[in-house]
Amino acid sequence: MNQSLRDGKRAGEFIPPEGVPITFAIASLGTRFGAQFLDILFTTIATIIIAVVIVFTGVLPESAQGMLMVLLGFLVQTPYYILSELIWNGRTLGKRITGIRVINVDGRRLTPHQVTARNLMKEVEIFAPMSLLASVGYQSAWENGLTSLWLLVVVVVPFTNRRRQRLGDVIAGTLVVDNPRSVLLSDLAVSAPAAASAQPAFEFLPEHLDVYGKYELQTLEDVLRDSTKTANHTEIQQIVRTITRRIRYEDAVKPGQELTFLNEFYRAQREHLESLKLFGTLRENKYHQYARTEAKRLI
Amino acid sequence: MDIGIDGRIDQRSTVNAGAAQNDMLRSARFRVERETHWRQLDELVTRAEQGGAAALGYDEVRNLASGYRQAMNSLSVARDISLDRALIAYLESLCARAYLVVYAPQESLGGLTSRLLRHGIPQAVRRSALPLFIGFLALILGAAAGYRLYESDPSWFYTFVPPEMADQRTPDASADYLRSTIYGDEGQQDSDRLAAFSAFLFSHNTSIVVLIFTLGVFVSVPSFILTFYNGLILGAFFAMFARKGLGYDVFAWLSIHGVTELAAIAIACAGGARLGLAVLLPGTRTRKEALRHQAHDAVKLAILAALMLVVAAFIEGVLRQLIQDPTSRLIIGWGVGLFWIAWLTLGGRGGKTPREAVR
Repeated sequence: MNQSLRDGKRAGEFIPPEGVPITFAIASLGTRFGAQFLDILFTTIATIIIAVVIVFTGVLPESAQGMLMVLLGFLVQTPYYILSELIWNGRTLGKRITGIRVINVDGRRLTPHQVTARNLMKEVEIFAPMSLLASVGYQSAWENGLTSLWLLVVVVVPFTNRRRQRLGDVIAGTLVVDNPRSVLLSDLAVSAPAAASAQPAFEFLPEHLDVYGKYELQTLEDVLRDSTKTANHTEIQQIVRTITRRIRYEDAVKPGQELTFLNEFYRAQREHLESLKLFGTLRENKYHQYARTEAKRLI
Repeated sequence: MDIGIDGRIDQRSTVNAGAAQNDMLRSARFRVERETHWRQLDELVTRAEQGGAAALGYDEVRNLASGYRQAMNSLSVARDISLDRALIAYLESLCARAYLVVYAPQESLGGLTSRLLRHGIPQAVRRSALPLFIGFLALILGAAAGYRLYESDPSWFYTFVPPEMADQRTPDASADYLRSTIYGDEGQQDSDRLAAFSAFLFSHNTSIVVLIFTLGVFVSVPSFILTFYNGLILGAFFAMFARKGLGYDVFAWLSIHGVTELAAIAIACAGGARLGLAVLLPGTRTRKEALRHQAHDAVKLAILAALMLVVAAFIEGVLRQLIQDPTSRLIIGWGVGLFWIAWLTLGGRGGKTPREAVR
C-alpha cells in the first residue's frame, strides 16, 4: 500500500488468515522504552509495597520472609511480563498505558511460546545490562568495556531492521505495534454535493481532470479536512490559483468561492480517477503521463 | 456466513440515502451501503476490547466473527475502488482491531500450564538428548576440574568462589566450623542467617540460569563456560569439605537441593546449547529460521529449569533446615531427582497429540 509511510510512521504489513493485508504502525522505540520504564517502575513499587506489608504484619517466620521476598523479586521479572502479555493479549501494564502491543509477525494469533521467548530474552537485553550498569563503579576497566559493548549490541539491533525488532522479537517472531485507533471521517464527496447539486458552480472537462493523480487528490483531501483553513485563508487561495493554472481552467474563481471550487474539484477528480482505476489505470501522481507513454511504446 | 442481518441493514441504509444515491460516486455509495455494518462491528469490537470476548453474548460473538470477515471484504474492495483515504484508513484500523479481538488467545492459563506439564516439557526434554549431554558434560567437567585443582592447590578456591558465596566457608576455616554450616543447628539466629543466605543463593542462581540460557544464542559458548564455572565452584567446594573429612556429610547436604538445582543449571545450559546449535549448525534453514525453530524446545527447557529452581529453593529454604540426618537428606534429594527423571522420561508418552499441536 502506498500509505505505508504516512505520518512518518513505519508500517508493518502483515497478512491475517483472511488474506487481506492489514498495516500496523510500528511502535516507535521511544514509546517502547517508555512502556518498559513504566513496567519496571510498577513492578518495583509493587514489590516494595508487598515487602513492607510482609515485614510489618509479621505473620510469617523470618526465614520464610526472606524466601518469599526473593521469590517475589524473581516473579516480578520475566514471569510478570510473560503472564501479563498472555492475559492481555500482548500487553503489559506499561504497554497498555502507552498504547502499544505485541503481535505475531506471520498474521496468526500470538502464541504462548512467542510471549515466553521474547520475554526470556529481555533478561539479556534489559535486566542483565541494567544490573551491570548499576555496578559500573566496582568493575575493572575491561569489564566496563564489555558492559558497554553489550549495551551497544542490544541497543543497535532494533535499529538494524526495518521493523524495529529487538533480539527477543526476532527469535520469537513478534512485532511491537501501536494500538490501532479508528475514526471514521465524513465522506467529502458526499457532503459537498448536498450543497452544490442545486447549482453546479463549476464544470470540469475531462482534460481538466487528466492532470493530477492519486497523490495530489489525497493531498487535497487532507487540506479540505483541515478545519483550521477557512475560505479566505491565503493558503487556500494559493492552492486554488495553482490548480487552475495547472489544469488550465479558464473561468475565474470568484473570491469567497474557493472552498466550493476545491470541493467540487475534489469530487470530480475523484470520480474520474476512480472510474479510471476501476478499468485498471491507476494514476499514482501527476507524473503519470511519462509512465503512460512508456507503456504505450511497449504496446 | 450470511446470517440475515444484511437485508435489514441494507434496506435501512438505502432508505437513509434516499434519492441522492443516484448521483453519488460509486465509492461513496459503497460506503453508504456498508457504513451501518462497520459501525456495528466497531461497537462490538470496542466492547470486546474493554471487557474481553466474554463480555459479549452468543449472538454478538457470531456477529463479531461475520462482521470481521465482511469488514475485511470491504477493505479489499475499498482498496480497489475508492480513493477516499479516510475511508481506507478507517477500514484498515477497524479490521486490525477486529483481527486482534477475533484472533486473541483462546486458552486459559490453567489449560496452558497443564498442557505444558503433561506433554510439552517432557517431550521437549526427550528431543534434546545432545544438548542435555552438553549441559551435564559442562557441569561434570567443571566439577572434576575444580576438584582436581583444589587437590593440587587449595588457594584455587579463592580464585573460583566469589567471597559472598563462600560466606566464611574457606579452606582456612576449621573442620568444626564447616560442620556447623552443614548442620545448621546452632540456634534460631544462625538458621535465620542461613535462610537469608539460601535466599541470596536462589536469586543468584536464577540470574545465572537465565543468563546461561539466553547467552546460548552466542554459539552456546557462554552457556558452556558459565556452566563449567558453576561446576568449578561446586568441585572446589566439595573438595574443601572432603579434605576436612566431611565428604559424606557435604554430599548429603548438597544432594538434598543440589540434585534439583544443579540439574536445573545443566538443563538451562542445554536450552542455551539448543539455541547455540541452531546458530552454529542451521542445516538447510536460514539461521533466523533455525533459531526460531529450536527456540520452541529451548524455551520449554528454560521453563523447566526455572520450575526446578523454585522447587530447589523451597527444599533449600525449608526442608534442609528441618532435616539434619545425612541419610534422609540423601534419600530426599535423590528421591526428588528420581521424580524428575520419571516425569521427564514417562510424561506425555500418550502419543495422541501430534507434535505440531503441542506447540
